[in-house]
Amino acid sequence: MRKNGRRPLSFYLLAAFFALFVLFLYGPMSAIYILSFQGPSGGLTFPMNGVSTHWFDALFAQQRTGDFEGSFWRSIVLAFLVMATTLVVSVLAGLAFRRRFFGSTVVFYLAIASLIMPGLLISLGIGLMFQIFGWHTSWYTSGLGAHLTWTLPFGMLIMFAVFSRFNRSYEEAARDLGASPWQTFKYIILPILAPGLIAVGLFGFTLSYDEFPRSNLSIGANNTLPLEIYAMTTNVTSPALYALGTLTTAISFAIIAIALGSIAFLQRRRRGR
Amino acid sequence: MTQSGEIQLIKLTKSFGPMTAVHEIDLTIPQGSYCCLLGPSGCGKTTILRMIAGHETPTSGEILIGGDSVVGLPPVRRGTAMMFQSYALFPHLTVLDNVAFYLKMRGVGKAERRQKAQETLSRVQMDHLANRVPAQLSGGQQQRVALARALITNPRVLLLDEPLSALDEFLRLRMRGELKRLQMDLGITFIHVTHTQPEAIALADMVVVMDHGFIDQAASAQAVYNTPRTAYVARFMGGQNVLTGHVGETDGETAIVTMEDGARFRVPGQGTDADGRRLSISVRRDKIDVALAVEGQQMPVNSVRGTIRATEYQGSYLKLAVVTATSDDFVINLRDSHALADQLRSGVDVVASWTEDSIHLLAERPHADGQPYAAGIDSMPAPH
Repeated sequence: MRKNGRRPLSFYLLAAFFALFVLFLYGPMSAIYILSFQGPSGGLTFPMNGVSTHWFDALFAQQRTGDFEGSFWRSIVLAFLVMATTLVVSVLAGLAFRRRFFGSTVVFYLAIASLIMPGLLISLGIGLMFQIFGWHTSWYTSGLGAHLTWTLPFGMLIMFAVFSRFNRSYEEAARDLGASPWQTFKYIILPILAPGLIAVGLFGFTLSYDEFPRSNLSIGANNTLPLEIYAMTTNVTSPALYALGTLTTAISFAIIAIALGSIAFLQRRRRGR
Repeated sequence: MTQSGEIQLIKLTKSFGPMTAVHEIDLTIPQGSYCCLLGPSGCGKTTILRMIAGHETPTSGEILIGGDSVVGLPPVRRGTAMMFQSYALFPHLTVLDNVAFYLKMRGVGKAERRQKAQETLSRVQMDHLANRVPAQLSGGQQQRVALARALITNPRVLLLDEPLSALDEFLRLRMRGELKRLQMDLGITFIHVTHTQPEAIALADMVVVMDHGFIDQAASAQAVYNTPRTAYVARFMGGQNVLTGHVGETDGETAIVTMEDGARFRVPGQGTDADGRRLSISVRRDKIDVALAVEGQQMPVNSVRGTIRATEYQGSYLKLAVVTATSDDFVINLRDSHALADQLRSGVDVVASWTEDSIHLLAERPHADGQPYAAGIDSMPAPH
């Protein structure tokens, strides 16, 4: 504890390091955000030639910048599919892993192993397998599977942590009061775990939404947004590229804000409005 | 289903893997009694409670409630309700919805169940906080809500798992009184698990003293306190000094028992054989007299010699902790008008003696011997 109100030297060193980190994280990105409001006659670099939303319009108006709208909706739909699947499977796995069962350790390590596998290899393998079997790769089949190899282990690990803090006497109390296993799940376990579920959902969504390596070779003919953006960086030479960056960042932040906001809401209600 | 809350445990056993928590227990708890299961942690008392509640399945044996076997039945069909140690109030529901949960599970309509819950809450003086959530309540208030939530099921047996352990001293005494009053009002059977001896004595019609999965004694509070069956019960309940020795001589009717340090005591009615068998007695702390020890003195029978380790003034009596050759904690409760009261300080050598009619013969334990480690309330700090 500080006695005389003076902070130790380590505080200033660490604070400076953290400031540097924040600058490095947001500095380059803010250049993109500012340049996306470049005037109609402006270019890819500073100085700003007026301020406008011209390049945002261009994003939707012109086909030559790439299939932004289509890839955006594919990514959103895919992210929701991944989120829903991750949620359901993680909760069920969390319930199952509360007691040891035959082979539980093996299943656990197999699931976790896919976290350390290079994403590009997974995507290559899935693409190859589909080719061998003569199936068509697409974002909602092979792409969905590739994303799940990434989000499911994450979701499971979070659910294990959430369940390890879950007091089993809540379930016993519910049983004592005549609740069936399904009623206990619906009225007690799910609501109590809700903040953890939102966290798992958020993870599933964002991991899928900006996934690149696992999409790369498994997504089929139609690109998801990260692949489309990557393609644009090589052939789009207008600030529309920056507008795209600003827009997708805004969407990501909005989703995170909604998730964190609902967790805060649930917890505030639990502490008493 | 009969309404009787009489509970019979027949050869009840529970094993967790290689560990046996409860060993073939036989016990009958009469309808409408307040029964305390008492013992140190790990003695099996909570396991018994959970088996009666239906949250644990017996390895073998039978549980009857009101004469009907309930093994295998879900809790609601047993007519039991349990109050959990940490209360286990649902954190996401209001007080009212917590109490109404049982009715909701039975499909009772919203208006009706809320009204019933409100009535039950007023029984425990919590109706004014019906719209709070558990996190906004104090420990005592949470306990009342947990009580209301259990009572709304209209149980014939209420099971309480360490219900007072989460409360501070003041609240504990108050809630203790309220539990007893509630039990008398309702007339249903209460089974209360505790590791605190005064709590059991104050509340129970029937105290069940347990150790290592066995019942050492099941009797009224007075009987357990004044006539403990075994040395374990005597030590655990406190208020007694336990003396153990071997029968060395006999005068035909009375055994003369010699302790390890050579001190002797007489046990009437045990003088059939001078066979060297082990014999233990207990003597209440307040039945012991004290004299100053004299150098080179021949020790009379029915006395032990020791050195006062600590004294503690308790208002109505003076508590002396004496170290003898065989015990570190021989305790004497001396009335404060005793002639020697002023001279008894730590470090003084004394002779403690008792009369034959104040001894109580203890039974040897039929099972493995264990020392009660929860001697907390009896131990006094050593003098500095």
